[in-house]
Amino acid sequence: MIRDVMNISRCKKNIFRIFAALFFILAGKTAYCGSGGVIETYKNATAPFDDEKLVDPMLSFSDHLVLVNIKYQGGKFWTRTRKDKIERFKCSKCHNNQDVNRPEAAKIAHGDIRLVHGGQEKPLQCFTCHNKDDRDFLVTEKGVIIDMDHSYKLCGQCHFRQKKDWVGGAHGKRVSYWAGKRVVRNCTSCHNPHSPRFKKRWPATYSHPLD
Amino acid sequence: MDIRKNNENKNQKESSPNQTTDKKKKFGRRDFLKGAAKAAALGSVAMASGCGTALLPSKEERELRWKEYFKKNYRLMTVSEKEETVRRLERLAKIKKDVSIQMSSKAAIPGVLYGYAFNVTRCEGFMECVAACVKENNLDRKSKTQYIRIFEMEPGEMAPAAGNGKYFHEVPVEGHFYMGAQCFHCENPPCVKACPTKATWKEPDGIVVVDYNWCIGCRYCMAACPYYGRRFNWHDPEVPAKEMTKKQHYLGNRMRARGQMEKCTFCVQRTREGRLPACVEACPTGARVFGNLLDPKSEIRFVLKNKKVFRLKEELTTDPKFWYFID
Repeated sequence: MIRDVMNISRCKKNIFRIFAALFFILAGKTAYCGSGGVIETYKNATAPFDDEKLVDPMLSFSDHLVLVNIKYQGGKFWTRTRKDKIERFKCSKCHNNQDVNRPEAAKIAHGDIRLVHGGQEKPLQCFTCHNKDDRDFLVTEKGVIIDMDHSYKLCGQCHFRQKKDWVGGAHGKRVSYWAGKRVVRNCTSCHNPHSPRFKKRWPATYSHPLD
Repeated sequence: MDIRKNNENKNQKESSPNQTTDKKKKFGRRDFLKGAAKAAALGSVAMASGCGTALLPSKEERELRWKEYFKKNYRLMTVSEKEETVRRLERLAKIKKDVSIQMSSKAAIPGVLYGYAFNVTRCEGFMECVAACVKENNLDRKSKTQYIRIFEMEPGEMAPAAGNGKYFHEVPVEGHFYMGAQCFHCENPPCVKACPTKATWKEPDGIVVVDYNWCIGCRYCMAACPYYGRRFNWHDPEVPAKEMTKKQHYLGNRMRARGQMEKCTFCVQRTREGRLPACVEACPTGARVFGNLLDPKSEIRFVLKNKKVFRLKEELTTDPKFWYFID
């Protein structure tokens, strides 16, 4: 009899210990997995969100836009045009196999271009990107002719990781709105294609020391 | 509203004919003192408003200020009351400072939870975001209040506290990276718990906002925030009328006063209309990503799914909606 009682009390103790251990494990799990947290919230949100009507489609984007030939996770998206921002487009106005009767024409037209692209081991040349035969277009290494508005295709042949991020939204930026029709900046809206790295400069402002 | 009604009732009672006749009968020491106190109060008001009764605020302004004084907490207001308050503030700004502002009380968009991601690899410390934020949110120019801070970091560091937040030289510097910090709009915000007057709360779209008029300036929230996300107005903020952003929101960039807490609101006046916050729009390197966390096709969701992300002080379980990521 006494032994039985001892056994029962031991059992009770063990059960209590198991519960205590379980309690700690579960508490730990909820704390670290962040259940109920914002990560859980967004992971559960799989229904498409219709934000097209949030922003007035008539709101003018100040730039001309062009439909990108690639689709992102949400479908179609647009980017800024390039051709209308090139000062001397069309290039074939001068590059047309006729004599230019002006001294130093090349220097006047393109003297400001410094080609700092591709590093020291493999610096790029003009015709790495520009099409020699038709100057209004670009050309990839494989010989695919590319429109100036769709320069992302050309840049993407080397910078494929950046291109993937750009299509998804981790590289580059949207224009003006987070909602509505997706309009992003083109590669050349931010980078100078001839020297794509941002120049060193002074910051726009400074921070006041705290307290 | 109730308080105001009570006050009006009191005034009526005081001026009712019965009482005045009583007073006439026994004009004693107490009544004399009452009168003297009233005269003194009037005098001091006149002094404060710039000598002479001619410069006392107009009747309209006094009425507006009176109503303004007894308004409710923003969360208790009905839609029409919000609208009324906003119109009143517009009118007061016109009278007092001669600025015509457009204030909104637009509610959160359903199905939206704002999230923010900051690319540590891309940021080059140009601080265009800080300048844009100051301008957009009408921050005090005198004390140089800023919601955003950019830290110049040594490689390998993770906490902004270890970085240099006071740099002023040509950027980017070789061998350094830059990290921005602002209010992280925690899903479990400690500042909200600390507030004794319920002047700060989390909106349905996840933005942590302050009702400036209900803030008593105790700065408990500032102490509770582990990210230094809140700023305090030690003086009345000074913003030149020319530079003021006229498009305002009641919970966002409307003018604050001395003794009130303020903070980043993800530019509530812009984001609720579908626009990007000022810092995101100003960023020249595209280091800032903003969007709707509940939208599977949004950029922010792409970043969270495909990039290596981390949050600051995650172990505090504040659950911030602001991620850092690397390329």
